[in-house]
This record gives sequence, C-alpha cells and structure tokens, in this order.
Amino acid sequence: MEFSHFLSALTPLNFALALFGVVAGTVIGSIPGLTATMALAILVPITFSMEPASALILLGAIYTGAIYGGAYAAILLNTPGTPSAIATTFDGYPMAKRGDGDLAVALACFASVFGGLVGAIALLFLAPPLSQVALAFGPIEYFWLSVFGLSLIASLSSGNLMKGLVGGAFGMILSTVGVAEISADIRLTFGSQTLIGGFGVVGALIGLYCVPVLIDLVAVPDRHLKVEEGVKTVRIGEAFALAMRSKFNLIRSSIIGTLVGILPGAGGSVAGLVAYSEAKRTAKQDQKFGEGEPNGIMATESANSATVGGGFIPTLVLGIPGTPPDAIVLGALLVQGVRTGPAMFTQSGSIVFTFIYGLIIATVLMLPAGLLIGRYAYKSIVTVPKAVLVPTVGFMTIIGTFAIRNSVSDVIIMLCLGVFGWVVARFGFAASPIVLGLILGPIAEQGFVQGWTIGAATNNLFGMFFGRPISQGILLFTLITLILPPVVKWQKSRRYEEADQ
Amino acid sequence: MTPPSAMKSGGQIGSLLASLFFICAGLITLYDTTSYTDRDSQVFPQTVAIILVVTATVSFIGRFLKPSDEGGFGTGIWWRRVLLIMTMFLMCFLIPKIGFLPAGVVAFSGGLIAAMHEGWRAKTLILYPVSGAVVITAFYVLFKFVLYVPLP
Amino acid sequence: MLRRTLLKTTAAAALALTFGVQAHAELNGPVNYIIPFGPGGESDISARLQQPFFAEKFGQEMVVSYQPGGGGAVGWASLNGLNGDGQTIMGVNLPHIIIKPAQKDVGFTTESLNTFYMFHFTPDAIVVPANSPYQTLADLVNDAKANPGQVTMSGSGKASANHLAQIKFDKMTGALTTYVPFKGTGASVTALLGNQVKAQWGYTTVGAKQGDAVRMLAVAMEERHPLFPDVPTFKELGYDMVGGAYRGIALPNTASAETTAMWSDMIGQINADPAFRQKMLDGGFAMLDISAADMPAFMADRVAEYLKDAREAGLIK
Repeated sequence: MEFSHFLSALTPLNFALALFGVVAGTVIGSIPGLTATMALAILVPITFSMEPASALILLGAIYTGAIYGGAYAAILLNTPGTPSAIATTFDGYPMAKRGDGDLAVALACFASVFGGLVGAIALLFLAPPLSQVALAFGPIEYFWLSVFGLSLIASLSSGNLMKGLVGGAFGMILSTVGVAEISADIRLTFGSQTLIGGFGVVGALIGLYCVPVLIDLVAVPDRHLKVEEGVKTVRIGEAFALAMRSKFNLIRSSIIGTLVGILPGAGGSVAGLVAYSEAKRTAKQDQKFGEGEPNGIMATESANSATVGGGFIPTLVLGIPGTPPDAIVLGALLVQGVRTGPAMFTQSGSIVFTFIYGLIIATVLMLPAGLLIGRYAYKSIVTVPKAVLVPTVGFMTIIGTFAIRNSVSDVIIMLCLGVFGWVVARFGFAASPIVLGLILGPIAEQGFVQGWTIGAATNNLFGMFFGRPISQGILLFTLITLILPPVVKWQKSRRYEEADQ
Repeated sequence: MTPPSAMKSGGQIGSLLASLFFICAGLITLYDTTSYTDRDSQVFPQTVAIILVVTATVSFIGRFLKPSDEGGFGTGIWWRRVLLIMTMFLMCFLIPKIGFLPAGVVAFSGGLIAAMHEGWRAKTLILYPVSGAVVITAFYVLFKFVLYVPLP
Repeated sequence: MLRRTLLKTTAAAALALTFGVQAHAELNGPVNYIIPFGPGGESDISARLQQPFFAEKFGQEMVVSYQPGGGGAVGWASLNGLNGDGQTIMGVNLPHIIIKPAQKDVGFTTESLNTFYMFHFTPDAIVVPANSPYQTLADLVNDAKANPGQVTMSGSGKASANHLAQIKFDKMTGALTTYVPFKGTGASVTALLGNQVKAQWGYTTVGAKQGDAVRMLAVAMEERHPLFPDVPTFKELGYDMVGGAYRGIALPNTASAETTAMWSDMIGQINADPAFRQKMLDGGFAMLDISAADMPAFMADRVAEYLKDAREAGLIK
C-alpha cells in the first residue's frame, strides 16, 4: 500500500489506458446489446503483451465505464444499456420526458463516480475481511435474497401490486425455458430448437424496454423528449448541488452496491434494485419516486458502480469472480501467470495495489469524461429528428441482439418479446417486473434446489431454510419492506380519522 | 358508480384478456412439468406457475369486479407501428439471404418511413437516407471489424 | 516425340500444382473461437492459454467469444450451421457431448460434431477445504459409510463429469454421498470454501487455483500429477478411477478435409510447444494429444465407456 504504487498507477501509459478504457467502456455500455463482458473478451489479447498491472487497469477502466454508460440509454431511451441500469429507468426516463434529461445524465455521472470510488476504496482497505462475506452466502442465502428481490418488485409496482407479481412470476417462468442448469431436463421449449437457448437477459431487456418505446414513438408526431427552451449548458452545477444534498443516499447506496457486488452472481442489477428500494422506503414526503425523482437515479447509479470495486474483492482475494467481467479478468491474469488468492495481496502486492489505484484514477477520470460524453449523448438524442432516431435505435437493437450469440433467432425472439411487452404494458403489466423475474429466477431456483438437497441430506430442512443467521436477516428485511409501508399508511389514516373527529 | 361504458372499454377487455393469458401461461407450465424426469427441475417451475396463476386470477377478479377504462391502446397511428415492426421482422428473415447490410437498409427504410410524420422535402429526402446509410455502415464496421462479431 | 512428353509433363505438373494448391487450406483473417459456456471456466482458461501461442505461431488473431446456454448444448447445436471455411471453431467437452444427446434431443448428436483435436483433460479430484476434518480419502469414505447421505459434495452440473464421478465412486465404495449440483466449477468451489458442503467433486485445476485454501484427497489419474506430488491417485488407494472432463475443439461439419487437417495440425503444434505444456500443467491441467487421425478410435472408446457409465448410473436408459 505504499505510495510508490500510486505513482506507478500514474505513469503516462497507465493513465492513458485508464482514460481510454473509461471512454471506450462508456460508449460500449451505452449501446444496448453490447455488454462489458463482450468488450473485455475482445480486448483481453491486447493485454497479453502488457504488464499485469496495466492490463488490469485497462480492463477495470472499461468495466467501470460500461457500467456507467448503461445509464444513457436507460435515461434517454428507457432501455438499460446494461442490465445494471434497469433501476435507472424508473426515474431516469420520466425525468427525460419532462425535459430534465441533461440533469439526469449529469446526476448519473456524479453518482457513478461516487459509487465507483466507494467500491474501489473498499477494495483497497477491506478486501480480505470483506471477501469472507462472499463465502458466507450459501445457496439458501441466495434464495432468500432473490425472494427479497421479488418483494421489492412487488413493492415498487405501487398501485399495481398484483400485476407486478404476475410480471415477476412470468419472468421467472421465462427464465426456466430451455435446458435446465441444475438437472438435465429441457423445459418449455415445445420441441422448438429456437427456444432451447432460452431467453437471454440482454435480449429480453432490449425487447421489453426498447421496442415498446419505438412502437410508441412512430405512432405520434410529437418530439421524443421535451427540451426546455432557453436552458443553456448542461446543468452540471445543479446536478452537483443535488448530489451534495443527498450525501446520505449516495453513501448508503454505494455501500449496498459494494456488498452486493461482493456476492458472486448477484451483479449490478440486483444492487441497483436494492439501493433504489431502500432510497424509496426512506424517502421524504415530497420525493416522488417513480415519477422522475433525482434521488432515484443517484441511488441506482452509485450502487451499480460500486459493484465494480466490490466485485473485484472475491475475484482477487479468493479467485472467485464476482461478475462475468471479473471472470474474464481472472482469465487474463492467469495467462500472465498471476496467481489470485490470499497470497496475491502479499506476493503480487505491487500488481494489486497499482491496479486498485489505477481503478481509482479511472473512476475519477470518468467525471470529466462522463460529463462530456453525457452532454454529447444528450444533445444528439434530443436534436436528432425523430424520423432518423427511430430507425437508428431500431437498427441498433437488431445488431446488438444479434451480437450476443451471433443468432438471428435471438433477434426474432427479442422482437416478439417487444411486441408482447408493448401489448401487456398497455394493460398495466410493466416490463421491469418481467425482466427482474428473468434475472432472479435462476438465482432463486438454484438456491432453492441446492439448499433443499443439502437440507434433505443432512436431515435439517427447516434449520437449513430458517435457521441460518444471514438468511434470517434477509427474511426479516423482506418482511419489513413488504409490511411496513402499508402499516405506516394505515396508521397515518387512523390518525387523520381521529383528528377529524 | 363506475360508468357503464367502462365495462366494455378497450382497457377493461384488454386487461382481462392479458390476465387470462398469464393464467393460461401458468397452466401450460404446470402441464409441461409433468414431462420432466428429474424432480429437481419440477419444483421451481411448479411453484412459480402456481404463484402466476393465483396472482393473475386475483388480478382478473379484481379488475372484473371494479371495471374502469384504464389502459388500452390509446391514440396513435396504427399503420406506422405495423410498418416499423414488420420491417424489423423482415430484416431478420432477409439476413441469411441477402446479408446483414442490405437487410439493415430494408429495416432502416421501413423505420424511417414509419417515423416520418412531416412531409418529405428535398432536403430531408436526401439528408435522412444518407445519414441512415452512414449510421448503418458505422455500426456495421464497429461490430464486424472492431468487435469481431461475424455479421453475415 | 519429345514435344509430346514435354506437353504431358507440363500438363501433369500443372495438374499437380492446382491440386496441391487446392489441397492446402489457409487461414485468412482472425479466427472465431467460440466457447459454449460463460467466461471463467476451464474451457475458457485453456482457450486463453492457447490464444497467445496461436497468434505467435500462425500470425493470426484468435478471438474468444462466449455462447453459454444449456450447459453447452446451445453452442453445439448451432455449430454445424456456422460457416465451414475454417475461420470458426468451437470448444467441445467430454462427457457432455456424449451424454447430452443420449438423454434428450438437444439439437446435435455426438457423431455430427467434427471434433478434430482433444488437447487436454482435467482429472477428477475430490477437494476439501484446508480446515476440513478429512485428512485422507479414507476419512471421507468412512464418514460417508457411517452417515449415509450426510456427506454433501458439490460439483458442476448434472450428468456431467463431476456427477458421473460421484456416482461411480459411490458404487465402488458402497457409501452414499449426496451430490449438490452447481452452475459451473466456480460456483461449486465457492460453496466448498464457504463450508456449505463437506467436499467437492472437482478437478486438479481447482487445487492449482486455490492453492493452500484447499486440500485434494485423491486424483483420478494413472500417476500423480506433477504439480501435486503429495496427492495420491485413486488407483493407489484401491479405486480404479481414471478420468475427468476432456476438452477439445471442433469445426462445423461442412469444413473440408483439408481444413480439418490443417486445424488439427495447428492445434497439435501448440500442444507440442513446451512453454504451452508447462503453462497448462501449472494450471493443473493434464495434457492429451489426440489429433484428427486418432480421433475416431478415441471417441469410439469414450462413447462406449461413458454410455456404459451413464447407463449404470441411471442417467440414461
């Protein structure tokens, strides 16, 4: 942890790599269908000829940029550029619709930088102890975590609780289509070869979020996003002031993001969801979450950026990747002959610490770079005539979906889901519960089956599901999230009644 | 009192139909699980399908008992929507036959026409397709040569 | 007379040249190496190790991409629909490509995959955490015999190499362990380290990667792995278990014989490189050199062996 490592992170090469990585990552992340995983997979061979620390800095910077970039499409097109930006659509798109799109983009940048720094600092100082969190989470904990996630879906579908649950359950069923992971059965394909691959998250994301937007855009002659007349520069100052006022939200969301990032397999989407729900639960009276509340964006973007640093904790300390991009980084390290594990921090200490400092530098660089790119993205989306915007985005969805698995069938599935999503959204069934069900389904299923197998084998089924301290904590939290808001509302209405009398 | 028109409004019927669809989806899933060989792969889909059927039924009943005209397809020009979606599907079928780039031109043109509400002027007639060609080519190059995606 | 001979010779030479040129397949441009799993697994790691050697020896980029789904089924089902010009290859795994088609219609058959090289295998190994009460294999077996079903062992997938190994071993010992399937070796290692299960059916690569955090009780090899001279083989301990997951590469079956031969050659060259072999061994892999010429016999053996094992295990009928 010596200062020399910080200096080596500041060499011109490393600095350039960090800057390039963040910019490239942001652009890639903003295109729906292109994921950080894809970008890293392509760029790994370039890292073979680099020093391990420089390679890590490049890959880490791209990852950081991509998680942030996903917010652009989420805010301006209601389509998460990466799954981690799903929760950003909740308040991002409404903000854009009412003319605050530039504010939203700037907020996303500040929040992402803050969250990324928190995650990186946790990685720097607390990696070894925090890695134990990754190990403490067993199948049952993951199961209860996904139940918690689903309860969040329900509570976030305010007013349409039932429909939210329907969507979530349907999404979970969609996640079972294809060859089962935990057994050898093929499910719900009805003999079709096309469906054997199942419904990928990214394709479903594009279909369920983006296509309905396009369908509606062509149908009316109005402009896509309202632009406030007379507003000059991007509202950076305003965004900064807002961010300063919401310090507690940012800190809390970043911590949530770091912790969720530590859990292998959880990912930015879950982090954003949990952070958003927490922010909403503790919201003040005048904050209208879901209708364009800046705190919503700040919560989700800081949380998902914190998962970058958090995800590296189990990756570097235990050799267990926190997220798919981490797995690619591990592969790149292995080729370089770098051994991960507890020894890494002592033996290859210079590599690790140079990398972490590089990650911090990249995150800081994201502030000017992100604000600049964000401003450019906002301007182009807003000024491009709708007649060109719609086919461009449409083409982008097709090429993006194709690129996931080089399959035209995936594109057809995406389009079908898109039309389906548009139809049911018209009648109250939103896209988010379905997508979240799709993401959480496999986590819930594997956790349940594995937990059941272990519990049944050790004759401890009840203790397995309900006797473990972390599970109990998650369960308690779930109940609080579900029960507290209606109880509080009921109490308030009682008080009003009494006051009236 | 709910207005009598709400009972038959598009929003009402559509909402009920959607709930019905989800109920059917749940039932189909339950039926499919009977063909699985491993008990492990049945547990989860069965549980979730039951939840789906229950919640969709509650939603159906709730909407049935309290009709409103919330929801519905709303205003909007239909042929444009259809054109957009149809050309995108058409592109998918054309990709293996004429290649990605030509098929992309098809989809882009469809979308352009569908989204073009103002009349065509000389300026736009040239500018838009040209910018479209630029966009398509830029994405094609990005994906095929930078990201090594094998576009046909 | 001379003129006719000259003409004939020229014609023959010309013919020979054209055939010679046609019979020599070539790479033009970067190649797409598709891994039918997500990143981070053994298939990915071994491909990543091959990547720099390929670029160095043959001057072309090898681009690794992922097509996960169905435990590999999605990738393999799509392979023969891809371009057979030699620019696209896909990783294949045994026993997956043998057992999966035998269980259900997964969109491909073992024979339809044009596998041209098997370049390594990861020997099965029983792995326990460093702080586990099991010091030797006998400890684990005794515990399993005394408490049937209570010894939980994690592994990657069902009807996979790990699962088969667990069933086979249970039959040999007469003990009853409980297999808990996880999605990929990484997840099963996490469960092991977190003490969610008592042991893991993994590979030697797990031991290499985790180092001192784990202890391997036995490996399924003929002789001890050079990286782990202290870990006995199953054979030494009295159990005839040799095997693991084999990994190789395939081309679409529309590829010509020349292309297949060319690729078999190239991968063979990489496999023969001592630096490459050392890197693989350091990672815990065990090397194998089955080229396209030897493939039919090798596959026939493996098919017979795995189908028999799977039938006895009750995984297929």
